[in-house]
Amino acid sequence: MAEAASAGINALLVLSRSPQETRRLGQLLGQLLVAGTTVALAGDLGSGKTVFVQGLAQGLEVPPAYYITSPTYAIIHDYPGRLPLFHVDLYRLTSPEEMEDIGLCELFSERAVVALEWAERLPRRYFHEHLLVVLKILTEDVREITLIPYGQAAADLIGEIKKRM
Amino acid sequence: MILLGIESSCDETAAALVADGTTILSSVVSSQIELHRAYGGVVPELASRKHVEAIVPVVDAAVRQAGLSLSQVQAVAVTKGPGLIGSLLVGFTFAKALAYARKIPWVGVDHLEGHIHSLFLSTSTPPLFPFVVLLASGGHTGIYHVRSHTDFILLGQTRDDAAGEAYDKVAKMLELGYPGGGVIDRLAAQGNPAAIHFPRPYLDKSAFDFSFSGLKSAVNRYILDHPDTYRQKINDIAAGFQEAVVDVLCYKLIQAAKVKNCRQLAVAGGVAANQGLRARIQAQAGQAGCSVCIPPLSLCGDNAAMIAAAGYHYLKAGKQDSLEADVYSRSISKICP
Repeated sequence: MAEAASAGINALLVLSRSPQETRRLGQLLGQLLVAGTTVALAGDLGSGKTVFVQGLAQGLEVPPAYYITSPTYAIIHDYPGRLPLFHVDLYRLTSPEEMEDIGLCELFSERAVVALEWAERLPRRYFHEHLLVVLKILTEDVREITLIPYGQAAADLIGEIKKRM
Repeated sequence: MILLGIESSCDETAAALVADGTTILSSVVSSQIELHRAYGGVVPELASRKHVEAIVPVVDAAVRQAGLSLSQVQAVAVTKGPGLIGSLLVGFTFAKALAYARKIPWVGVDHLEGHIHSLFLSTSTPPLFPFVVLLASGGHTGIYHVRSHTDFILLGQTRDDAAGEAYDKVAKMLELGYPGGGVIDRLAAQGNPAAIHFPRPYLDKSAFDFSFSGLKSAVNRYILDHPDTYRQKINDIAAGFQEAVVDVLCYKLIQAAKVKNCRQLAVAGGVAANQGLRARIQAQAGQAGCSVCIPPLSLCGDNAAMIAAAGYHYLKAGKQDSLEADVYSRSISKICP
């Protein structure tokens, strides 16, 4: 409860009117990210999770020769950048044992950024400090994007984004 | 030369024995054999551990089914990427160790080049160089210009979802189970492809990149907009969706053939098993004066015979790997005009 309450105070709500705006917000976040940050993404199919991560990758200076594509099938895509970026999709995994088997826990301890789709499938003990990005479809083009911090580092990150918007 | 091929880049653990890059002596895929019987336990669905448990019995089965012994294997080829690192390492390390112990050459092969080599297996009419190939599966969708067994140029690829992934996600929305390619293909055959129009994501019509994310969202929107009636129209939704996918895939492949001056087309990868796509590309290629090669259904999905076939040509060209070689999770998306 305490966690949720503090999240409410520090959360940032942004309206995005196009995929380009969603990408730009991701890029801004990507520019500010520090090693060891986990960005969890939640939102329905087509809400713009992959687009947001494409922006994140731009902000992390992933070379444009790398296309940021859906990791649903391969589960983990990794990209070089200012910091290494691991784009992970837990959609096809069902048990925490499977997630341990694919080496997910190691990713959280690397000096890297982890962008995590379907994070709700992973027990919180693996990544208790993180930034949650919730994308909600309002109309065909408009998305409500909420950034919710879990932990002080994520709260500071949101503070920094607010300054630059 | 008899090669042992090993593949463990994603869900499947596979091994195959192939002679001279063309003749399959055996091809074993873990999901097709009852490993849990051999191992007395349930094998986890999708994990590196599954590969660890499967690799020895799968290689054993491949050698046995070929009627040979391990000492008759002259070289090893193994998938080095792209894929899940933990899964890749199982096959890669096994291949490395086996080759080292037996003092035979070995080589790492790109999974996507492997799929292209499925076109040269078990056929009296392999594609003639140069050709353009559409490679479409659950994890990849791209078009390549192939000039020799070891010379490939990526012309374009998906910027978001792979074609096979779009099938799986649409099947999920329609509650048709996983994987979704086969069931949508079947339902589409019973539906009217013109009943519901979904957008064709061509992007730049003169270039060869794909995007299937918007099409997937369009199907989702249709379902949300017709909550009471969509269930009666599942065949038409499947047919409309498949028509849009096949339109784009075929258009871009034919276009690539024109730009690259190729009369030879090919389709490979899991999506090449799609009957709607197979029929359409045959027809359209015929109209364009081109011929098409598509592997038999058994070689469309991930398998190790294709890895052995690709490895054979690399070894023949003098390429070998050493113990320091490593796997990679992603191929760089270098697009050449």
